[in-house]
Formats: sequence, C-alpha cells, structure tokens
Amino acid sequence: MPAPSPRSQPQPQPQAWPPAVYAVRFLVVVVLLYCFLVAIQLLSKSIGLMGADVSENFFEGVENPFAGLAVGVLATVLVQSSSTTTSTIVGMVGAAKGVALSVNAAVPMIMGANIGTTITNTLVSMGSVRRSQEFARAFAAATVHDFFNVLLVALLLPLELATRALSETGTGILAGTAEWLSGLFYGGTGAEFHSPIKGAIESGFDGIVGCLKWMGFRDGWLGGAGLMLGIVLTMVCLFLITKTMRTLISGPLERSMNKSLGRSGLIGILVGAGVTIAVQSSSITTSLLVPLCAAGVLTLENAFPMMLGANIGTTVTALLASMATDRSGLTIALVHTLFNVTGVLIFYPIPVIRNIPLRLARGLAERAARNPAWIVGYVVGFFVVIPLLGYLLFRSAPS
Amino acid sequence: MLRWFQRLGPESRGLEEIHVRFLQMLQDGRHIFDAAANSLLGGTDPEVIREDLFRTDIRINETEQRIRREIVVHGSIHGAATFPALLVMMSLVKDAERIGDYAKNLFDLAILRPELGDEEELTHLVEEKDRLSRLLVRSQGLFDSHDVDAARVFLKEADAFADRCDAEIDRRIKSTGKNEATLVLCLRYFKRVMSHAANIVTSIVMPVDKLDYYPGKAMSEQ
Repeated sequence: MPAPSPRSQPQPQPQAWPPAVYAVRFLVVVVLLYCFLVAIQLLSKSIGLMGADVSENFFEGVENPFAGLAVGVLATVLVQSSSTTTSTIVGMVGAAKGVALSVNAAVPMIMGANIGTTITNTLVSMGSVRRSQEFARAFAAATVHDFFNVLLVALLLPLELATRALSETGTGILAGTAEWLSGLFYGGTGAEFHSPIKGAIESGFDGIVGCLKWMGFRDGWLGGAGLMLGIVLTMVCLFLITKTMRTLISGPLERSMNKSLGRSGLIGILVGAGVTIAVQSSSITTSLLVPLCAAGVLTLENAFPMMLGANIGTTVTALLASMATDRSGLTIALVHTLFNVTGVLIFYPIPVIRNIPLRLARGLAERAARNPAWIVGYVVGFFVVIPLLGYLLFRSAPS
Repeated sequence: MLRWFQRLGPESRGLEEIHVRFLQMLQDGRHIFDAAANSLLGGTDPEVIREDLFRTDIRINETEQRIRREIVVHGSIHGAATFPALLVMMSLVKDAERIGDYAKNLFDLAILRPELGDEEELTHLVEEKDRLSRLLVRSQGLFDSHDVDAARVFLKEADAFADRCDAEIDRRIKSTGKNEATLVLCLRYFKRVMSHAANIVTSIVMPVDKLDYYPGKAMSEQ
C-alpha cells in the first residue's frame, strides 16, 4: 500500500479563540457603536450647518409620501442595508428645528427602507438558480419577506395618510403613537434629555468639526463635508459592527438556529429578533435563512416568523441612532418599531392572513423556477424601475 | 469574565457537537450489529432484541438527518472556513447509517433461523464476527483520535478482512451440494459493514475528493 499524498492529512478543525480575543472584539464593538452615534450626530447637526435654504432644497423631493417611499426603497437597495438608511433618516429628522426632515416626510421613507432591504436575500437565492426545486424554495424564502413588507405598506401607508388628513395636528396614527411614546421617555414636549453618553457623543462631534475647521471648511461647506462624512462613517461603522458581531456570536447563532428549526412561530420570532439585534442587520438574518430553505432543512412556514422577528430586531439600530439626536429622532425610530410590530400582529396570529404572503411567494417562486425572465423582471422591476418611476412621478406632486 | 466571552462560542463548537453525535451513531451501529450477529450466529431469540434493534436503528437515522441539518446550518453561518470538515462529515454519516442497515439485514436472516453449516464453519463465522466487532470499536476510536498511523494499520486489516470474505464467498459459490445462500449473504453483509467502517477511517488518510477510496488501490478495484 503506497504512502498517501501529503494532502491526505486529517482536516484540522478551527480552534477556539482565547477568551481575551473575544474581550477585545467586544471592546471593538463598543468603540464602533460610539463612532456610529458620533456619525449620526455629525450628519444630524451638519444639516443645520448647511443652512435652512440648502436643507429645504435637500428635502423638497421627498415631501410627497410616494416619492419618500420610493427614495426609501432606492436608498436601501443602493447601500444594501436598511439600518444605514433608517439611521440616516433618524439623524436627518433629529436635526435642528427649521432645517430637519419632518417626521411626516420620514414615515414613508422608513417604510420604503423596509421594502428595499429585502433585495439582499433575493440576490442570495440566485445561488441555487441552476437547481429548479432548490431555487424555488430559496426564491420563495427570499420573496416572502418582500411580499410581507409590500402588503404591510399597502395597508399602513394609506391608513397613516388618512389619519393624518383627519387629525387636527396633521399627524398620522403611527407618527402620533410614536410621538406619544417618545414623550413618555423625554417627560414632556420640548424637554431636553441629557446623559453621559450624549455628552461623550458631543465631545466626539466637536472633535470632528474641529478637524474639519482646521482643514479649512467653513459655513455651508462645513455642513456639506460633515454630512458626507457622517453618512460614510455611519455606513462604515454599521458594516464593521455587523461583521464583528457576526463572528463574535457565531456560536450562539448556530445553536439558536439549530434549536429553532421546526419550532413554533413565537420562538422563530424571538430568534429572528435576537439574532438581528446582535448583528445589527436584518439582511444577515434573512440571508442565512435562504440557504437553509433551499436545502430543505427549514420550511417556508418556519422561516417566515424568523423573518418577522428580523424585521422587529432591525428597528433597534434606529433606536440606538436616536440616542445621538433629539425627541424627533426617537419619534421616527419608534415609528419604525411600531410599523414592524404592527405588521407581525396583523399578519402572524391568523393562519388565513399569514398564508397570504406565503402563497404569493410560492406562486412567484414556481414561475421564476420555470422561467428565469421572471427573476430578472422581478428584481429589476420591483427594486429599481418601479421606485425610480415612482420618485420621478411624485417628487413634484403636492405632499 | 473572560470565560463568559469564551462561552459566546467558538467557530468550532458546532462541529464538536456534530462530532459527538456522530460518535454516538457509530456506537449505536456497533451495538445493533453485535445484537443482530449474535442472534444469527449465537442463537439469541430474535424477538428478544427486535424492539431494541429497531429503536436504535431509528435513532441512527434520526441522528443522521439531524447531523445533515446541522451541517447546512453550520455552513450557512461560517461559510467556507469549515467547508472541508462539513463535506467529510456529510459523506461519513451515510456510512454510519448503512452499518445500521446491514445490522437489520443480519437480523432478517436471524429470523429465518437458517442452518449455517457444521461446528467448524460456525466457529469460523463467529471468529470473523468478533473480529469485525472489534474493528468497529477501533474505527470509532480512530475517528475520535485522528491517529494517522493507526488508521493506516486499520485500513490494511480492513482490506484483509474484505479479501477473506471475498475468498470465502467465491469458494462457497463454486462448491456444489447444499444451498449456501444464507451463508454467502451473511459474509456479504460482513464485508459491507467492514467497508463502511473502513470508509470512515479513509477520512483520516485521504483528501476530501478521495473519501471512500483506499490508498494505493486502483479505481477499478474499489
């Protein structure tokens, strides 16, 4: 019997990191979280530095709710992260009075971000496109999230607009409830909430603005540079937080996934929310579910509650971002949470209603598995063409 | 505090759990092989072992399915880093599951209460059964320890065992007179069980693309 080749040695299993490595990574996440909050305050306050005229022009195109919805979708498709979009919106809403994006204009944008984020798992499902049965399961798992979000927007956006029109204050039901909740936290209108965290964030902000001034930026240019830096820093921090946390919690993530396969809906919702809060990205959670569905180890019925949980979990990012802003920032972050929690309450408890997005997703997946033109048509049409046309049609329409 | 961080879970913990479950599968396979072979060759009443044998076989099948699910989950979360180890395990669970299947085949023979030949022939069969049972135990230990040198020795013995089974089958088929189909089938199952145990051990000395193939043997001989 000849000696086997050198590559025939046993496959080494990955070794556990020493605890100190975990501690350092955890510390890195805390630092990144701080940088994220500084970035949100930077983009929030930079809008004020740009001046009222500039900010008015800046937000003019999204005053119409359908244009706002389209911008929410397009922005999220572009950055592949609803957390980035919603955190940016929170920062813009939390800017100084007179220059900030209004809560009313931000509500449809938040809804749009919810829709746009689902493109990531739709793209992940393409990995199985050559194997029709596997692809049908993967595509259904990816698009059930799309259908849920679209149906939810179709229900809640008209309701928000109708209640806004009927309300004396001009506030819709979601924004009104969120405003009431944020009032509970801030202890009354107009009150300013101070905390050591906020003080530390302001120090970071002052440091960055000081650097920009030293580099020669003044007035409107200072605001523009701060806004751009704030957006870039938000994206980078969220990306690094997600990346680090995903590695850090891979063990518990695997165990909770294994435990939740085939379990009841409530556990799925909790696991989906928990994982998403930990990694700060619903796309990570939902994209993990797609290959499991493709392989047939997770049914669409069991993946759906996890996706709903991910939808709730992702709202924590905007809530975190609101720590760097004022009450308006918290209000719009709470709108995001209320919107997704309401969605679960509407769509999950009653089986007949729960089955609507499941059936739509299966129907589309079967067609897509038979004819690839459906895949291209769906992805390009749903995530690019329709939102783009929507924005172009409605940007000049009255709000 | 530092221990708390470690409890968050290393990348390999999921694989360790799969590894432990797989060892349990091998142990179950050896248990029902012994039970079925003792019933066939030693005269234990098949009805006495029936319930335990089928319950254990179901547990083996369920563990195989569970391991496969966990492999997919692990691969989805950790990506390419642990892919080779996952591919190996995906192949090996099938071998472990088949040992249980062959034990059931032996049990089916035991139910027929066949005439297995004279005293000498029976003694020879019992010796081969005992040898195989011991090799099954060694295959578990080797998989756990990843002892490359011991694995090579094991594979040589497995090869010799298979050759002896082949030679005996040839001799029986060529001989005339009594119907020896049962004996032939029994040897055939011994050989298959041995092959699967050896396949498991090939993971220690062979690369992923050559799993289930013995070192040094031509493809036509496999």
